Amino acid sequence: MAEKPVTRNELARVVGAPPRAVENALAELGASYDGTGLRLQRSGDEWQLVTATEHAAQVAAYLGADRLRLSAASLETLAVIAYRQPVTRAEVEAIRGVNCDQTIYTLASRRLIEERGRKEAPGRPILYGTTWEFLECFGLGSLDELPRALSPEGEVVEAAPRT
Amino acid sequence: MIGPDAPRVSVEGFDGPLDLLLELVEEKKLDILTVRLGDLADAYLTRVRSLSALPAEEVSAFLALASRLVLLKARSLLPSLAPLADEDVESEEELRARLLEYAVVRERAGVLGARLRTGERAFHREGGTVELPPRGGEVGALASAWSRVLALAARQREEDIVAPGERYSVEQRTTEIEELIVSQERMSFATLLAGTPTVGFAVVTVIALLDLYRRGVIDLVQDELFGDILITRRDAPSPAAHS
Repeated sequence: MAEKPVTRNELARVVGAPPRAVENALAELGASYDGTGLRLQRSGDEWQLVTATEHAAQVAAYLGADRLRLSAASLETLAVIAYRQPVTRAEVEAIRGVNCDQTIYTLASRRLIEERGRKEAPGRPILYGTTWEFLECFGLGSLDELPRALSPEGEVVEAAPRT
Repeated sequence: MIGPDAPRVSVEGFDGPLDLLLELVEEKKLDILTVRLGDLADAYLTRVRSLSALPAEEVSAFLALASRLVLLKARSLLPSLAPLADEDVESEEELRARLLEYAVVRERAGVLGARLRTGERAFHREGGTVELPPRGGEVGALASAWSRVLALAARQREEDIVAPGERYSVEQRTTEIEELIVSQERMSFATLLAGTPTVGFAVVTVIALLDLYRRGVIDLVQDELFGDILITRRDAPSPAAHS
């Protein structure tokens, strides 16, 4: 019924069941959608039913939806935020080696990233993370489905402890 | 600072100094993990020199990396070169780690971009809250409405009656109703219309009632949609339905 994701606690409140039971039920529900046109998408603690990626072309045709286009620079900034979230602009810039004001502004205005509070550091900089719209646009069931390392370099970086 | 509306400057296809350095490593088919970064100083400088008109802010970023590469090169040529006392630049390994991390970011960005291009995505339901049907529908009400329609249809239609050319005045009707309400305290709209009124009579009666209501002489109560309207005198005790 909802057009926005629903939290686990909201579901628990409505059905009058403990959150633990709701979580099990959600896992079952998610599995039951395998092979159908729907799937369950999780963003943090929020859940939502979305269409399966296999049918994206047909659904997009029905909705008359435009394909999202992002510049290479925006994609890089988005990649840093997606894999390192929550992350500050300064941290993104340190990794990319360039000013990221513009790309962060673009990504936020397209609702692909959002503010996630502030870092307890000098100046209390804004922390950024990805949104449920991000998961939807990239057809990811949850952040766990982000593509992992593809190259030897990627493995080195992923194996390295995060600082 | 680049304002939010300033166009993003991509320099000759290079999105920043790290991008350019990575491009050189790949062009020369070198391994990021083992390449001596100082060896890339010359190629890097050549590239930077060939870049036309950079915005100042971009230039500084490109030059900062260039100076690091040159320093790394100098160190490899003169291993005995002692570090400056207050030297606080990143070591080759730190720069390598940064380049490596950037390479992974670019790779991931490529994968995400590919997902966008193939249109592998999901859609959620749009369109606001679901509209529930109104509650309180009664089958009985529908049936009785139908029988009223039948009764109306059976009656001779007003248009068929030759208009007697009657005339009503709102003032006169208002006075009539006002007199009635003084003696009766309450009455229903249906009795005021007295059976089968002409349209003109009904209109004048309604206007008269509205006028009385406006003047605070009467109160109007309607318990249900399209139900009869109860007219009560303003100073009379309120009917039960009103409280």
